[in-house]
Order: sequence, then C-alpha cells, then structure tokens
Amino acid sequence: MKFILFLIFFISSSIQAASGELSCGSIECDEFSADTTNLSSLQDGLTTYMNYCYGCHSLKYSRYNRISKDLNIPIDMYQENLIFDGSKPGQLMNISMNSKDAVEWIGAKPPDLTLEARIRKPNWIYTYLRKFYPDDSRPYGVNNEVYYNVSMPHVLEDLQANLSETQFNEMIYNLTNFMVYVSDPSANERKRIGVYVLLFLLLFTSFAYLTYREFKKDLK
Amino acid sequence: MAANEKKSIGIMGWVDSRFPVTDLLERHLSKYPAPTNLNFWYLFGFLMIIVLAMQILTGLWLMMNYTNTAEEAFSSVEYIMRDVEYGWLLRYLHAAGASAFFALIYLHMFRGMMYGSYQKPRELIWVAGWFTYVLLCAEGFTGYVLPWGQMSFWAAQVIISLLGSIPMVGEDLATWIRGDYLISGITLSRLFAFHVVLLPIMIIAVVFFHILALHEIGSNNPDGIDIKKHVDKDGVPLDSKPFYPYDITHDIYALGVFLLIFCTVVFFFPEGGGYVLEYVNFEPANPLSTPSHIVPSWYFTPFYAMLRAVDFALFGFTAKFLGFVCMAGGIAIFAALPWLDRSPVKSIRYKGVLSKGFLAAFVISFFVLGYLGAVPPSDVKNLLAKVFTVIYFSYFLLMPIYTRIETCKPVPERAPQH
Repeated sequence: MKFILFLIFFISSSIQAASGELSCGSIECDEFSADTTNLSSLQDGLTTYMNYCYGCHSLKYSRYNRISKDLNIPIDMYQENLIFDGSKPGQLMNISMNSKDAVEWIGAKPPDLTLEARIRKPNWIYTYLRKFYPDDSRPYGVNNEVYYNVSMPHVLEDLQANLSETQFNEMIYNLTNFMVYVSDPSANERKRIGVYVLLFLLLFTSFAYLTYREFKKDLK
Repeated sequence: MAANEKKSIGIMGWVDSRFPVTDLLERHLSKYPAPTNLNFWYLFGFLMIIVLAMQILTGLWLMMNYTNTAEEAFSSVEYIMRDVEYGWLLRYLHAAGASAFFALIYLHMFRGMMYGSYQKPRELIWVAGWFTYVLLCAEGFTGYVLPWGQMSFWAAQVIISLLGSIPMVGEDLATWIRGDYLISGITLSRLFAFHVVLLPIMIIAVVFFHILALHEIGSNNPDGIDIKKHVDKDGVPLDSKPFYPYDITHDIYALGVFLLIFCTVVFFFPEGGGYVLEYVNFEPANPLSTPSHIVPSWYFTPFYAMLRAVDFALFGFTAKFLGFVCMAGGIAIFAALPWLDRSPVKSIRYKGVLSKGFLAAFVISFFVLGYLGAVPPSDVKNLLAKVFTVIYFSYFLLMPIYTRIETCKPVPERAPQH
C-alpha cells in the first residue's frame, strides 16, 4: 500500500513538472481541445493550411492522398483545388522553396510542420497564431507574445483584420485541429480499435478471473 | 520405472527415449512445484516473458521498414507510422513495451529485495537477473537512439560522452564506441546492430539461464521458508502446488489485467504524457541545436539524478567522472545484495525494524531521485538529490551492519494457510 502511495505521489509530481515547462512564452496558453472526428473542421483547416502556410511550411511526412482519404475529400476535387504544383496524389507533401532562399528572405528556414502539434502542444499553436502584435522594430513589423522575436511574418494579418474575432478564432481552431490530425493521422482509427480491444480484454480477464477463482478453491 | 515404460509408446514415447521432452516440460512447466503462499508480487516474471516475446515480434516487423542511416532513420519511422499497415500499432506497442518492461522489472526486483529472494541458495539467479537488467538498460538506450529525434541524438551525446570522463583512456574509448568524433550515422548504425542482434541474443540467453536456475533451485516465497524441508513420499514439497493449472491460471488472470492497463496506454495515450514517447523526440536530430532540457527516459531518471548530484571534483577526479561512477555504482550495487545481507531470515516479514526502515527509505529515495532526474536542476533539487543518493546507497552499504544487529522474528516451519 505504501508503495502504491509513493507511485501516485511520483506520477502526480512528474506530471506537474512536465506541464510546467510548456507554457506559452510570456503568457498562459489558451484552452484548446482537439476534435479530429470533426471532418468539416479538418477540411476547413486543411484549406487554410494549403492557402496560407504551405507556401513555406512543408508536410513532408504526409501524402496528399492520405489526407484526401482521411478527410473524405474526393481525390479529383482535392487534386484540382489543393495541389498547386502538379504533384501526384501519392507523393509526399514537399515544398519547392529551398532553404538557402528562405534564409535570405526570412532569416530562417521555415520548419516542416507535419509533427508540430506533437512537438508543441496544440494549445501552444492555437495561442501563438492569435497573438501577433505590431512592433516596428521587427523586419515584418510584427512580434509575437508566445514566441518573442519570431522570424515568421503575420501571414493571416488580412484575415484577422477582415473577420470578426469569433470567425478568426474559429478559423485558427480549425487550422490547429488539422495540424493535430496530420501529426498523428491514425489517431481516430487507433481509438476506434482501442475500444474493441479493451472490451475483448475485459471479457478475457473476467473469464480468466473465474478460472483462477475456481482452481484456487482446490487449494483450501 | 513403470511410468517411464508407459511413456515409451507412440510418437512422444519415441521422442522421449531420445530426448526427454515430456520430463523436461513437466519439471519446468506443468508440474513445477510453486509454493502455495505466492502472492501478487510473483506475477511479474511471467508478464516479462510475454513482454519480451512481444518486443521481439514487434521489433522484427519494425525492422522490416526501418532504415538505419542518419539521413533516413527519422523519416522511416514516420513512414512506419503513416504508410505501413498498422505500423503505428507496431511502433506504439514497441515503445510502450519498453516502458512496461522496465516497470515490470523494477517491481520484480523490488519483490526479490522484499522477500530476500537473492539469499543463499539463489545468488546466481539474482545475479543473472541483475545482468538481464543491465542488458535491458543497454537495449533501452540503443533503442531510444534509433528514431533519431532530437532527444535520441542528445541523450546519446550525453551518455557516450560520460565514457570520455574516464581518466587516461576515456576520450579514446568514447571515440571507439561512437566510431566517429561526434555522434553520427556511424554511431546510429552500430547501435542499431547492437539493438537488434547482439543485445537481444544476450538477453534471451541470460533469461533462459535465470529461469533454468530458478527451476532447479525452486522459487522463494513471501515467508522465505524452505518448502523442500517437508516433502511427501514422491519428494514433492507439501507446501507446493503444480504450476499447471494453479499458477498458470493466476498468471493468465494477471496478464488480462496487465494488458488492460497496457492497451489503454497504447490505444489512448500512446505518448504516455511524454514519458513513453517524448515530445521533443518528434523533432529530427539536429546536431547544431541543443534542446533546452535533456532528460533520459523515465526508467533511467533515478540514476541520472545521481549523476547530476555529484557536482564536485575529488582526489584529482573530475565531477563528471565521479558522477558517472556514482551512476554506474547505483546500478552495479544490486549485484552485491546476496553478500551484503547477513540476516538469518529471508523475508521482510520476519526481519527487524531496521531492515524495514532501510527498505522503505530505499523505495522513497528511488522515487524521489526518479522525479529529480526528470526535472530541470536547481540548487534545492541538487541538495535533495545528494541527500537521497546517500540514502539510496546506505540501504546497500549499511546492510551488513543493520541486518546483523537487529532482532528478527522466528520463521514458521510451514507456509501459513490462507
């Protein structure tokens, strides 16, 4: 019993320690709860990503046709509207910008974002994308509360100016949701199978317990 | 003799008269006499065999799609996660399996310490088990490097550079192990070879010896009594039950409970809160950018805390070298337990209050060090790490004294009936 108490103490203190280091720069992260079963949200996020982010940020571990399949977008429609460089649907989502040019133009190579939602927490991304502010001392005239002196320009500036706050937040929610999906595309299938696995194991364990109990009677 | 003649009929009879398979299986499995008073703590050995088998199978399939070069390793893991059918399942099972293996082996070792299973005549069983643990540490470390993420690279950098702190030969030794002046693709491919060939073969061999030796000597039990002192007319201990069906049904029930917990992690929390798969390791290895906070896997954090606790040079040795010695000592000292324990009794149930206190202090220090090794250091935490490192070692080093001077309770002749 003592041992189990230590275990609880250990785990709870470790979780506290782990969460302490992932705050949002100068501020606390806003709440974000991903829902990768919401396909219309993911489709909207994908559209935003392809139009505003994909010019600089590749998704090089993912393939076009995997996203089209998972997000239930017919491949013809996908190819017509969301593949801009004539890539084949089965190809990995690389971008044409090379890192030398990127360093010259922006000052740093924009990272690949396939796994970004697993490296940083989704609420970090959600907060970061909404916390740009004007700062004349920076090359693009903007700075960020979450990532101080970030090299990235405020790509969504026009949208933020033209959309209401609710609309803008929703758009960023969908974009972040899409990034959560693309960082671990098997998550929905995994959870679906997981339910059956656990149900089977419950049944298995119940019968295993009954067998154990039956044989234990012999020993008395 | 009559029994043997009966067996010599049929196919099994033909086999048995050339190689006594039936006898072997009966002695090691079906009729193996297990003490009647075994409890919860005696389930982990069986569970580890299952996990070992799972690691070998998932590892085999992972290896079919993994590429062991610095350029391709990271993307081949994502290829497994995305393009290989159920590749995500193979990888999550293998990653969570590593954590499960360590959780189980720590519980298994604690059982041995609690009930004095390392004492005479089981010293070799204990030492073989300890050696399995050391091999498992190497297996865990080499496997951790293979995805070639940021933490893979920098953890390898830290661990291998520790060898460089050894006086005189250190730097040459580290270079020899790395195969390069820095961690590189050469290091990756040799660690891969160790991980998939050398270490698994050694682990299987030592585990085989561990189980064989156990079955020759017989299991200890929570009361630490010698069940072989009272046997029936066939030489079977009175306080024993055959493994089949009494133990196997208990083990299978335990397997169900274990798999419920394990599969909950695999299917619903595959990152295990950053302890099974670390968040930083989803970033490809970058030799030019050091992560702000380098931590080993959770199962090494107690020893990592010991390494960091030694921050002073002494007798002309560097702090780094002394920390390395302290860390290695923390792992090595388990092997000496059978010779440190001078108690006339085996089980903690009949040992005196000193043994109980020191064992409790050891468990606390293990958890506190585990916590301290996982968080960024500070002055207070460093002081705590020093204190608990001393407590950790005092359990072992003072054992010859406190086990001799304390008063023990008398051990019953027969296993208590539940």
